[in-house]
This record gives sequence, structure tokens and C-alpha cells, in this order.
Amino acid sequence: MKSYWFGDVEGRACKPASGDPGLLAGRLAMLAGSGNACIPDWRIAVRCGAVRDRAEYLERLREAALILAERNLEQILLVDSSGLIQMVRMLDQLDEVINLLTERAVEWHRATRPGFSRKRTLPARSNLIALIREDADEALAGLLDEIDRLRDRRSLLMNQVSRRAEEILPNCSALAGGLVAARLVSEAGGIRELAALPASSIQVLGARTALFSHLATGTPPPKHGIVYQHGRVHNARRGTRGRVARTLSAKLAIAARIDYHRKSADREFLLKADEAVRKAGRRE
Amino acid sequence: MIWRDGHLVSEGPGGVYGERMLQGFRVWDPKRSKLAALYHLGTEMELRSDHRVLYLGAANGTTVSHVADYVEVVYAVEIAPRPMQDLLVIAGSRKNIIPILADAGRPETYLPLVEDVDLIYQDVASPRQVSILIGNLCFLKEKGLAVLMLKPRSIDVTRDPGDVFSEAEREIGAGGLSILDQVSMNPYYPDHRAFLCRKE
Repeated sequence: MKSYWFGDVEGRACKPASGDPGLLAGRLAMLAGSGNACIPDWRIAVRCGAVRDRAEYLERLREAALILAERNLEQILLVDSSGLIQMVRMLDQLDEVINLLTERAVEWHRATRPGFSRKRTLPARSNLIALIREDADEALAGLLDEIDRLRDRRSLLMNQVSRRAEEILPNCSALAGGLVAARLVSEAGGIRELAALPASSIQVLGARTALFSHLATGTPPPKHGIVYQHGRVHNARRGTRGRVARTLSAKLAIAARIDYHRKSADREFLLKADEAVRKAGRRE
Repeated sequence: MIWRDGHLVSEGPGGVYGERMLQGFRVWDPKRSKLAALYHLGTEMELRSDHRVLYLGAANGTTVSHVADYVEVVYAVEIAPRPMQDLLVIAGSRKNIIPILADAGRPETYLPLVEDVDLIYQDVASPRQVSILIGNLCFLKEKGLAVLMLKPRSIDVTRDPGDVFSEAEREIGAGGLSILDQVSMNPYYPDHRAFLCRKE
């Protein structure tokens, strides 16, 4: 029997496939996966009674191909981490923009208020923007409001990033927190790429400058990159910090592989990994 | 091919990617499309209204849309999701583009869709450019044409382009094609060379 997208042909007999474009798209995908499909010929399709003429053949095929391509695209974008990576990059860019704008606002304020100095100690729980806001120009005040709004956006986005990371990287997120997991993926370029990295690379992801300066001129090697942002690493004592970073990265490398291949949280692994990281932080 | 005032044009609904219109025709800019550049540099190959084309490396579909203006049907293969989004929009508004999201290096994955074609146009920037073309020859009719846009820099930057070209020539010959013509793509695309081949 020969299988084509429009039907199955057995000798002289032929069974046309359903004419529904959605079903045809499914059939195309199935045939492509089966590996024993044949190159189609529109004349067989006409003889088969699946289509009337060449025009209809192309129209049907085009509709099915469009649906198939859309489905495949959706599939790729779904499992793909490109959405998360864009979110992380937007977050970093927002930080940059907020800092630049704040910097500029301070300069502006300083130019209009001779008595202003940054050195003044800030009252608890207040920030620079709020401080300037108290007696800013009208024009500046409006902009300060916008900066404030951007900050709110930023923290909103931060929560969204960790939530998304927890969805697509359950193991890495459980181990290192959603934000760190998302940053690692962003730096590596994707989940697949992260899962392919050795632990030692994960340990120094995000410490590019320090790593290459070490390789080029022999400065001390970086102990950690993005993983430093994890509480266990930056709260660790100086003497044990490298060991904690190393252990965490080793466990993250495994977690990334589970995330990529299995896509679900592994409780047993997470408990053991957590214990290992905790142990690494203990004093001998 | 249709020419107006020294411009290569194609006949079809405009506004696909902001192309210029000339006397109701879509101007096919050689600076944006290697195939258009090939026509500007002079080639005997014509796109006819009864041609079926397999286009490997369709990208955003700018060149594909012009080819579709000339021929009966274009099977457009592209692997990258982002350009595919653009290609799907173009394919949605034209009757004769069949978009395929697949790796041109694995023809078995789109074998059930593509019929015998008269022309294969290959413009994927891959180190395996030639073998990808050879792998797709199963779709080409006897005496059918194949156009290979070879970019030696994407095969191996460290090698001399001349070496890459002569190795490609050998590989093309061994794959069952005879080379009809070779066109250097200067000045539009320095370093590129178009190979016009026929299946024997």
C-alpha cells in the first residue's frame, strides 16, 4: 500500500482521506514521521477521486500545509524558551533604563537646587526618587512619576518572569529560584543549550569578563556568575562560597537536563540536591 | 522574465514587504534578493507559469513572493520559526505558496508534501549547502534545473573561496548534476557564486 496525504492507494483501489484541512494536516505530520510515505502526484489524487483537478489539489494541499506549519510553529514556541528569554532581557533593559533616567533626574535636580547633595543620609525605607520628588520642579516631578511607574512595572515583570520560569523550568527554579533559573536560560540561549552545558560552565555563566580575563592574563578565576544571585551562594561565608557555587551548579546542570527532557519536577532529586547544597555551606 | 525601464519586476498584488511598484508591477530589487541579482547579471534560466519550484531556505518570503508571481506553485521550506511567521502571512494571502516548516537537510520530513518539481532553488547558509541540495534531488524531475547560491564563507571562512568552489563543483558532479553555468554574484553579493545545474 502506498500512502499519500490525499489517500491510501492499494494497487488499483484507492481510499481518499478526509477532506478536512485540519485532519489532512494531522495526516501529513503522521506520514512525515512514519518514514515510508511517497512523493505525491496530483494525477493519482484525481484518479483516486480525492480531488477534481490540479487547482483543487493545490488548494487542499496549501490549506493543510498552512495549518501544519502553524501547528508546528506553535509547538516550537511553546516548548521553546524564547518567550522567557525575551522577558528576562526586557527586565535587564528596564533596570538599565530606570538607572539611566534616575541618574539624569538627579543631575537635573542638582542643577536647580544648590543645596542638594546625594551624600545626605536617606531616611529609612525611602528612595532617591522620593527624596527629590519632595521639592522638584513641576517638569521634573512629572518625569519622576513616570520613573516610579516603570519601577512598578519592573517588579511586576520580575514576578511574571519567576512564575513563567517555574512553569517551564520546574527543577532549576525549585533549586535556585525562578529569577536565577530564567537568567541562566537567557545567558545560555535556551533550555536546550543550558541542558547541554557542563556544571563548570553553568557556575560561571554571566561572569564572562572575569572568566576571559582569567584565561587571558591569569587573574583569579571567577567563583560564580549568575548563581551568585542565589541566597545560599551570596550569604555563604567567603571561605565556603566557591564550594556552594560549585555544588549548586552541579545540581543545576542535572536539574536543567531533567527540565529539558522530562519537563516535570523530580521531588526526590530536589530533596537530595537541596541537602547537598546545604551541606556544602556548612563549616567543617 | 518581465522588465520595465531596466528594472526586473513581477506581476502580483504588491505591499508584501514594502517593495516599490512600477507601472502596476512589483519591482524585484537585486539588492534584496539574490535571485533578482542573478537575473540582473544575466542568466538564461526563465521562470515559467507552469513551473513548480522547491525553494530551500525561504526565509521571510520576500524572494518567494516574487517567484510565486511567475510560477505555478512554490514549495517554500524554512527551518527558523521567526522568519516562518512572516512567511506564513505571505503564504496566507497568496494561493500558490506552500509553506513548510522543516529542515532542508532532512527531506524525508516533508517528502509527503512536495511533488516533482521543475526547479530547485537553494539559498541556505549552511556548511552543508551542497549536500543539502543533493539530498533534495529526489524531488527534481529529469532534466530539471537546480540553482545553488553558494556562499563560501558559510562553508568555511578559513578556506580560500576558490578551493571551496572547486570542491563544490566536484560534489555537485558526483551528486548527479551537470553544471550549466557559474555566475559570480559581484557586485551585488561579493563572494557568492550561483551554480546553475541540470539533473542528468
